[in-house]
Amino acid sequence: MSDLLAINELSKNFGGVCASDRVNFTVDKGEIVGLIGPNGAGKTTVFNLISGFVRPDGGRVTFDDKDVTGLRPDQISRLGIARTFQILKPFPHMTVEENVMVGALVRHPHPAVARELAGHCIELVGLEHKRDALGGELSTGQRKRLEMARAMATEPRLLLLDEITGGVDQPSIPGLMKLVGSLRDEGVTLLIIEHNMRVVMELVDRVIFLNLGAKLTEGPPREVAANPDVRRLYLGSGHA
Amino acid sequence: MNPASGEIRRVEGVPWWIVVGGLGALIAYPLAFTMPFHQHIVIMALLYGTLGTAWNILGGYTGQVSIGHGVYYGIGAYTAAYFYVNFGLSPWVSWPLALMIAFVAAFVIGLPTFRLRGHYFVLASVFIAEAAYIIISNWEMVGGAIGLEYPIHRAESPLDALWHLQFHKSKLPYYYGILTLFVASVFVSWRIRFRPLGYFLKAVSEEQDAARSLGVDIARYKMVALLISVLFTTLCGIFYAQYVMYVEPVSTMSLIISLEIAFIAIFGGIKTLWGPVLGAFIIIPVTELLRANFSGHIALDQSALAEGGIGAWVDYYMAGGGGNVDLLVYGLLIIIIARFQPNGVIGFFHRFD
Repeated sequence: MSDLLAINELSKNFGGVCASDRVNFTVDKGEIVGLIGPNGAGKTTVFNLISGFVRPDGGRVTFDDKDVTGLRPDQISRLGIARTFQILKPFPHMTVEENVMVGALVRHPHPAVARELAGHCIELVGLEHKRDALGGELSTGQRKRLEMARAMATEPRLLLLDEITGGVDQPSIPGLMKLVGSLRDEGVTLLIIEHNMRVVMELVDRVIFLNLGAKLTEGPPREVAANPDVRRLYLGSGHA
Repeated sequence: MNPASGEIRRVEGVPWWIVVGGLGALIAYPLAFTMPFHQHIVIMALLYGTLGTAWNILGGYTGQVSIGHGVYYGIGAYTAAYFYVNFGLSPWVSWPLALMIAFVAAFVIGLPTFRLRGHYFVLASVFIAEAAYIIISNWEMVGGAIGLEYPIHRAESPLDALWHLQFHKSKLPYYYGILTLFVASVFVSWRIRFRPLGYFLKAVSEEQDAARSLGVDIARYKMVALLISVLFTTLCGIFYAQYVMYVEPVSTMSLIISLEIAFIAIFGGIKTLWGPVLGAFIIIPVTELLRANFSGHIALDQSALAEGGIGAWVDYYMAGGGGNVDLLVYGLLIIIIARFQPNGVIGFFHRFD
């Protein structure tokens, strides 16, 4: 079985609202999978369910053939699933290097080793020049890079990226896209939530489309984008 | 937190020669100032410096503001006193017991309350401290509201005195005892920040969800921080009991004590190594002098103090005679510091970014 991640019938209710409605999908090793859908479709809820921040009401999350349903976020992280947050959460009074070291120290308790790994991750995301800046001093784009560096420092096999290009100025987007590509080159499998369709089309191997908490369709990006329901719900009728 | 590659030049911003000089001065102080009251002031400053430093590991580094550390201080004081008064058990024997009780209490209190965030954790700590105070005040076995008074042991030899931890001729053993504890707590508080634990605690204090997403078991590290904090707080309690030879609820387990411990650290500057030390060495001498000078009580003239020793002095204001001038001063100081330097006194020495 080459599934790195398998989601089975995953469900979550928030006070009667079905945020996640028996969702099924898999992510293969080495893939970049896009999770898309209109606002409120339950994309971030799926991330929270996978990463342990929200406990599912039903269903199962399997990672590397292990059932990880209901484990704590830190346990899931140590098993090899890292995530970034849509609402960015840097450690504001720690330097960039210290931010990233927190992730590295969990696997490498020796600070010198962790510092070296952190340095590698900081270079990977292109923040070398900000190594000694405080997390709270960074721009939005830099914070996104910091979140990725931090996540990479946990040495994940699967990385969940929540809205990497959201809230970032247009000129920064190609750089961020290139960065996501280079994360894959590091051997990490990626599941990404993304609103920018250009990014999805160029970057992603496969798309999963969610609507109202349920999976509507999945497939190669062009196929999903051509789906009439997707076009109506998401792209707007005028989209080419 | 940067690596000290090679030799250590600075200890958290303070040049090493000042640290060494300061320690030297503390060692030499009681030899130069032989008056009991003068020694007493620094003993209390060292005691509160240790308490503030211990509190800061949880309340500062970890961001879990506890207004309930009097519980652990009280457990230390009461355990030592109870076993000495009732069974003649030396604190050298009873201290592991005190620590065990304190650690169990820390687990029982920490496990549920660490799930609370922000002000709810603060409130929970206040209620628990107050509950502990009410229990201890009504518990006949440990003397209720009156407390426990140590019998005086006339030591036959210095070794005998050391075994009983009672020294009546000189304060020096107490002085160097608490100095040792103080140095140990500051050392732990300093080195912790170079360890993974230090990074994890800071991460927990700044952004818990991000810390969890990076694999940090936040419940575990909060508990580790609490236990380190409790270790020193309990030892301070034991020291205090041996020092004043009288333990009662108000001076060991009350909310005032819990507040004082937090206040020392906050006033000096939390999240920093030297803040709580600075806080203790400013607040304690000021309040001790105020208590001594504004009370108008005869027992506090210095010759009487010298004769009566700590007993006369303690009898005096543990009975509530000291007035509450010190509390007024706390209030005034907190207003001044909140207005001009919210980072604490240490902020005057730092340039904060």
